[in-house]
Order: sequence, then C-alpha cells, then structure tokens
Amino acid sequence: MATLFPSHFSQIELRQARQRLLELLPDAGHGSVELESALNAYLALFTAFLQAPDEPGQESKLRHVLRFRWTHTLLGNTPEARQDAVFEVVSMCQNVALWYMKRAARIAGKEGITMEDAKEVHGSLRRAAGLVKAVHDRYIGQLQDEPLKEGDCDTRVITATINQCTAEAQEVTMARAIELKHSAGLCSALAHETSKMFTTAADALRSLDPSKVERWSKYLQLKAAVYTAYAYNYLGENLLAEDKCGEAIRCLQESKKFYGEAEELCKQYATAKGVGAKVKPERLLFFRKLGPVLNRTLEKCERENGFIYHQKVPYDAPPLELRDNTYGLVAPEEFSMPAPSPLWTPVTFAAFDVSRLGDRAADAKKAAAAEKAEGDLPPVKEVNENDTDKDQDNHSGCVLS
Amino acid sequence: PEIPGTEPGAASVSQDGVVLDEFGLPKIPERAQ
Repeated sequence: MATLFPSHFSQIELRQARQRLLELLPDAGHGSVELESALNAYLALFTAFLQAPDEPGQESKLRHVLRFRWTHTLLGNTPEARQDAVFEVVSMCQNVALWYMKRAARIAGKEGITMEDAKEVHGSLRRAAGLVKAVHDRYIGQLQDEPLKEGDCDTRVITATINQCTAEAQEVTMARAIELKHSAGLCSALAHETSKMFTTAADALRSLDPSKVERWSKYLQLKAAVYTAYAYNYLGENLLAEDKCGEAIRCLQESKKFYGEAEELCKQYATAKGVGAKVKPERLLFFRKLGPVLNRTLEKCERENGFIYHQKVPYDAPPLELRDNTYGLVAPEEFSMPAPSPLWTPVTFAAFDVSRLGDRAADAKKAAAAEKAEGDLPPVKEVNENDTDKDQDNHSGCVLS
Repeated sequence: PEIPGTEPGAASVSQDGVVLDEFGLPKIPERAQ
C-alpha cells in the first residue's frame, strides 16, 4: 500500500483521523462537538476515495484501493471485508449514528434533565436519523455487491433505525407537549404520529430472523402500543371537552385496550431473544403514569355520562386524527459530506499510481485468504455509565430508553 | 413541520404563521407557562 501513496500525501494523517474517530465511538460521554470534529476531519481526507477532486460526479480511481473490515450489529464478531470506500462511508456513518443514539440514551437516563439536555437528546436523535437516512438515500445504492442479509446495510435494518431514531426524537417533543399542557388535540395527533413511526420500524423487522431481532421488535411494538394508548387517551379528553362524552368513553376504552397490550408486550420483551441491551420499560414513569390517568378519566367520563350526558357509547372507536398541521413532527437532520481537505489538490490526486495495484480478481483472492487468516474481530469495549432507576421529576415522566 | 432554511433546534415560524419553539411546538405565551 505504501507504494501507492505519493510522498506528499500524508497517509499517516488519514490513518490517524480514522483512529481518532474509532477511539471516540465506544464512549458516549464525549461531547458531540468533539465527535463531529473527528468525523469531519476524517471524511474531509477520505472524500477523494469516493469522488475525484475537481470532477464532480466522477467516481474516484481510489475507490477500491483500500480494504475495510466492519462487523454488523446483528451478526456477531465476524466481520465483512470489502475493498470499497463506499462501504467504509456507510459503516462509519452508521457507527456515528449509533454513537448519537447512545449519547441520547445516556443524557436521557440521568437524573434531573434540563431543557438543554432535552434539546441535546432531540438533536442527537435527529442527527442519528439523518446519518442513516443519508446512508439509505445516497450510498447503499452505490455498493457494488448486494448488502449482507440482516447486516447493517440491509434496508430493513436501515428503515427500522431511521424510524426508531425519528420516533424517539418525537418522544422528547411529546413529553414537552405534555409538560407545557398543550391542547389534547395536538398531544393526541403527535402521539398517533409517533406510534405510526414505531410501527413502521417494527414492520421493517418482520422478515428478519427472530433469534436476532425479537427483542428489538418487541421494544418497537410496545412503544407503538403505548403511544396509541396515549393518542386515544388525549382524543378522549378532547372529545370530553367538546361534550361528546359517549365518544370520549369509547376512546378511553380503546386507550385501555392498547395499554393492556403494551403491558403484555413488556412481559414478552423481558424474555425476548436477540441483540441489544435490555431496558425496563414497565418501570418507566412515562409508561406507569398513563394507566392510572386513563382509568381516572374513564371513570370521570362514565360518571358524567350517567348523570349529565346520557350519550350512547359507539361500538367502534372514533378514528385517530391526522392533521395537516401537527406541530412538533420531527424530520431527520440532513447530513452533508464535508468539503475535501485542502491536501486534495488535482496534483496530489494525479500522483496516486493505481496501476501498481494489479488486477481486481487477484486482489479478491488475496482478500479472501486474508479474511480467513484474520478471523473474527474482538468485541469493542464500550464505556458505560450506570443509568438511574429514579423517576423523572416532571409531569410527563418521560425518559428515553 | 420543519421550516426549510431555519437553524435546527432554533425557534421559528410555521407556514401558517404560528411561532414555534425549539421543538417545533407552538410557543406558549409567558403568562400561560
């Protein structure tokens, strides 16, 4: 490899930039400014491996000169190796997205969350969603070989991740809407949209091996059920405020049904197989709080209907509303590739002599042999901080899991 | 709804003229909070 690089291009600088990023990724305690700076520094140096400088849209002659090995979230410690710069960008972006998800969970799990913390959680999840969306929209289609089934490049895994991150960012907005006592109509619509996103994420995983994704799926399904329960609860409150007591009762009954479903999913989640850390959703105040609230509201509605309204309770629950102007909906934060490093001049690029690389078929043979000899990658040791089990001292009781 | 061209996480105004907070929710007047 050393012979490929011209003397005035610092191969060491590229390697160090990558190493710096790899050092930061296992620890979500670092600040996002630090991580972004490391990501930009690496990608600015790496971008010419994707595109030739000064020739927009032109594939780089360097795209296939380096070999990268990455493990996949659901596939254990056996890495996939590809001699493709696009594979490296896809893998790095997804790992940075995972770092943002862990960063959000870490902040949300601490005691006494401030407004600045909530903003960082919201922003981190939007950033994570944006990175994975960029992978999906721009890079997966450029990979030369089919993505590994159930690997991180599998579009089902990607779809689940984008929707999960976006829905979790929306959970922050939902908690704030409850805190600030926004209208029941808005809370209901926001909860409904959030539930739909969790459902989309869960649906994306349906055709994957349950032994790998059962726990993840159950988590997404139970979140979807909780938010549907919230959506019906707030729709019920909204209808009661409009003196539609019969319909309100039916909504609250429906809310209770979904809450019961969520309780059942909590039990299934506890014993579910699959990859990923376990959380205890049934212990979260945001979940526990809804049961008594909706029971109280239902009892109140039934009492008032008996004394005042005497309305018929409809057989079917009223449909949850989708509004054109549901405020607080989250969009993934768009990811842009940084500008190429000033080191990449046309002269530097031209100085790379790819003719010394030999033919691709011979390289593939060598790579296969190397893969066999290299074996599995050791698991990355992550820096963990103990989460609190204490309840949040706020109205919504929301923390992210 | 996100307003194109606004800084992410910053307060903004929706297309229907509603002042939104950093989370995209309608701003509640001070006295109501």
